[in-house]
Amino acid sequence: MSAIIETQAGTPLHVRQAKRKKQFYILLTAFFVAVQIIWVGIPIFMAVMWSLVDPANPWSFPDILPQSFSFEPWKFVFRYTNIVRALRTSYTVAPLAVLLSFVLSLPTAYVLGRKRVPGRKFFMLIVLLPIIMPGMVVALFLSRVFAGIGLSQTFFGLVLAHTLMGMPYMVRVLTTSFASIPQDVIDAAENLGAGTWVKIREIFLPMIRPGLLAGMIFAFVTSIEEFNLTFVIGTPTYETIPTILFSFMGYNFIRTNASVVALIMMAPNIVMLFIVERFLKSDYLAASLGKM
Amino acid sequence: MRNKDASLINYLMLVPGVGFILLFIGSSIFLTFAQSFGLFSITGRSEFTLDNWVQVFLARESLDSIRFSLKMGVMSSVGTLLFAFPLALFFRKGGAGKGMLGSLVKIPLFIPALVAAFLIVNLLSFHGLVNTFLLRLNIIKEPMRMLNDRFGWGVIFIQIWKNLPFVLLIVMASIASIRDDTVDAARNLGAGYLSILFRIYIPLAMPGILVSMILMFIKAFGDFPIFSVAGPIYPSSVAVRMHVMATLYQEWDQAAVLGIIIIFTTFFVIWAYSRFAGLVQRED
Amino acid sequence: MSLLKIVNLTKKFDDVVAVDGIDLDVADGEFVTLLGPSGCGKTTTLRTIAGFYYPDGGEVYFGDTLVNNVPPNRRNTAMCFQSYALFPHMSVWDNICFGLKMQKIPVDQQKQRVSKVLEMMGLQRLENRKPGQLSGGQQQRVALARAIVTEPEILLFDEPLSNLDAKLRVQVRVEIREMQKRLGITTIYVTHDQDEALAISDRIVVMNDGRIEQIGNPYEIYRNPLTSFVAGFIGLANIFEGTIVKRENTRYTVEAPFGTVVIDGEGKAEPDSSGTLKFSWRPEEMKVRADNGVNRIRGTILHTVFMGNTTDLFFEVNGFRMRAQTDEVDVVRSGDTIEFTVPENAFSILRG
Repeated sequence: MSAIIETQAGTPLHVRQAKRKKQFYILLTAFFVAVQIIWVGIPIFMAVMWSLVDPANPWSFPDILPQSFSFEPWKFVFRYTNIVRALRTSYTVAPLAVLLSFVLSLPTAYVLGRKRVPGRKFFMLIVLLPIIMPGMVVALFLSRVFAGIGLSQTFFGLVLAHTLMGMPYMVRVLTTSFASIPQDVIDAAENLGAGTWVKIREIFLPMIRPGLLAGMIFAFVTSIEEFNLTFVIGTPTYETIPTILFSFMGYNFIRTNASVVALIMMAPNIVMLFIVERFLKSDYLAASLGKM
Repeated sequence: MRNKDASLINYLMLVPGVGFILLFIGSSIFLTFAQSFGLFSITGRSEFTLDNWVQVFLARESLDSIRFSLKMGVMSSVGTLLFAFPLALFFRKGGAGKGMLGSLVKIPLFIPALVAAFLIVNLLSFHGLVNTFLLRLNIIKEPMRMLNDRFGWGVIFIQIWKNLPFVLLIVMASIASIRDDTVDAARNLGAGYLSILFRIYIPLAMPGILVSMILMFIKAFGDFPIFSVAGPIYPSSVAVRMHVMATLYQEWDQAAVLGIIIIFTTFFVIWAYSRFAGLVQRED
Repeated sequence: MSLLKIVNLTKKFDDVVAVDGIDLDVADGEFVTLLGPSGCGKTTTLRTIAGFYYPDGGEVYFGDTLVNNVPPNRRNTAMCFQSYALFPHMSVWDNICFGLKMQKIPVDQQKQRVSKVLEMMGLQRLENRKPGQLSGGQQQRVALARAIVTEPEILLFDEPLSNLDAKLRVQVRVEIREMQKRLGITTIYVTHDQDEALAISDRIVVMNDGRIEQIGNPYEIYRNPLTSFVAGFIGLANIFEGTIVKRENTRYTVEAPFGTVVIDGEGKAEPDSSGTLKFSWRPEEMKVRADNGVNRIRGTILHTVFMGNTTDLFFEVNGFRMRAQTDEVDVVRSGDTIEFTVPENAFSILRG
């Protein structure tokens, strides 16, 4: 015992201080992690619990956890609601919207990222309008425009609306990708004899791929969770998962069913979060600058 | 060195992206604006009038809605920042396990607003987890009303929960871009922790702080889904009131007035920001 | 016949004139360096030769062919970039092979040529790596390999060594020069580093402010600068202006602010008719405490800087500052008054 005290006293002050500082940061991290687990984890955990409540044995105040579990709410939702159709709509509209926004964004992003066109800043701002503009205002009055040209309550109208909401992410991310390709690399390709088509295929497309993937995921997620436009333009002809969830949260609020739908909607998004995390970290383009 | 690229082909290539957005957003803004003055009205009449504006501003419900939405916008953006800033500072330093924390923090960003609202409703409801716990611990005697409350605490809480990662990412990026040299130089010149916070971190992170608060304000001000789940019965948010006006009462022209108010507020805030951001940048 | 000929080349960016009417002839197999401070137009000239910029005025000829409007991918040049500009998504092999694919060389020949150049550059074991996995020096070699494998008419270098550390820089510049001599490729090399330019070139083109100040071999440029810019930019120089008081053939007696000097102008530029003469001499030409000789200059030492192989002496003569170098250690101290001599033929006569 005394030996330990001695060695401790023998350690120089600055070493002990550095150690204490390090311990403090580890403690602080642990604290933040704990808070985050409660902050994010508990709400999700509760939704999972609610989706497994046995209707024969309801979960009622003041029980902390349900008395017994069953898959009845899941069975009910899939059997008696439009969820399957909504899922189908959501997951066909989203890829189409992503594809369309990619095709529309590519030339625009190329010019915004690589050319010094006069008015570039203004165009960059215009591109952000769909996410800056309040969703419900755009939804209500775009629905009037759509009604005027016969796109309201149509599948194509829905795809166009979702494309519109995904465009800001697609254009912005692709613009950054294009802009971050060093001019030297393109010049080098040209210097070695690459023409326009070869440059696009061999240099531009491979080098924007990480950005493209991120842009596609952003646009996809935006489409899956888009509510305002779908609510006004699509329903009741077309329902997506968010509008189903909304209908469960209105007058006929059934917590167990809503939990199921919420989980169905949320799970793929969280998976995609981790995909984006992995790919956005790569400093792919920095490598070509020669300075590591 | 490069020349300006003002050739026609470049502008043509902008058409699919910028043109598409301008076509749909522009036409809907135009229609909102025209209808608020009675032009292209859904009733078929098209005649300039200020009636709709007068009616909206005479109705106490409309004014209460605007005031309530402004309050939600301010409270949500300030509230989110209060949570996000210390976290962002921590991320600059941080210990082991920072990566895991980073992923955890970001989860709500990928949870749709409506789902977020639902998740928090489970916690805050009259017989929800929070009330149950507080009762068990004998901190309160009666369950508290935290949802659909007059003040809007429920809405603010959901906004903070959902948007914390969004604000955090922006603030974190601007804090991360502060060079270590700058901080070291300040410390070398004798600045303590507080001086570094107020003289280095906050001023240098200001552009990020402003952008995130502006975007957050706009989101909360024009919000529809979160309010309809957790907001009070009266007053409603502007967006909800606008929707009700248009779809329930079929008063599209008055809804257009509310729409213009939301759009105008949004643009005003962005304009004010760009002025202010200009000032901030000129100072350094 | 020259391999590359530039006539009155002018290039503007918006309103800024980057290159202002320059002329240059480069012979087959020659190694020519464009040297100058940043913003002098050397890189713009190089990039115009490569075809990344089209000239606003003047002509560029490859042999007899006018190439002003030929796009870069149709010119048979190969460039080594300052940033290396390797394709980050391709392996070392694919990077080097890129130019050959563009030239539609048959696959078996591609393989043969890439292998050969990999071996030549000592890169055999790195062929499957991506650029991000290589050190700076290795990236540099890949960039060089990618350029020479195409067997270009003209090899272009844009400050290729500026991202390497000092030792590696000296090593690689020797390698570049040896390889260029062996392959006999005509080379245009851009740098702002005078040592590099002196060490590597057949001829140096000194540029300033979009114009050419002087063209010559390294010895001429150093020994016989023609303008005060060249004298000051390359090596160290004392530069003064004085009145010619006596002239015998090419021997001038000049009254300069600090005193009178005699200049032997044989093989040097002819002074203009104004009667004044601008001249310079190198600090290392000054002899300390020489017993005989003309051009005696007495000055007071302000301070001395020990540099290892030499000592820099900063001194003052009648209120004018000069600089000398001596290899004698510890001969003088600050405050000493000391006599220097400068040989008559050590001066350069400057035109501007």
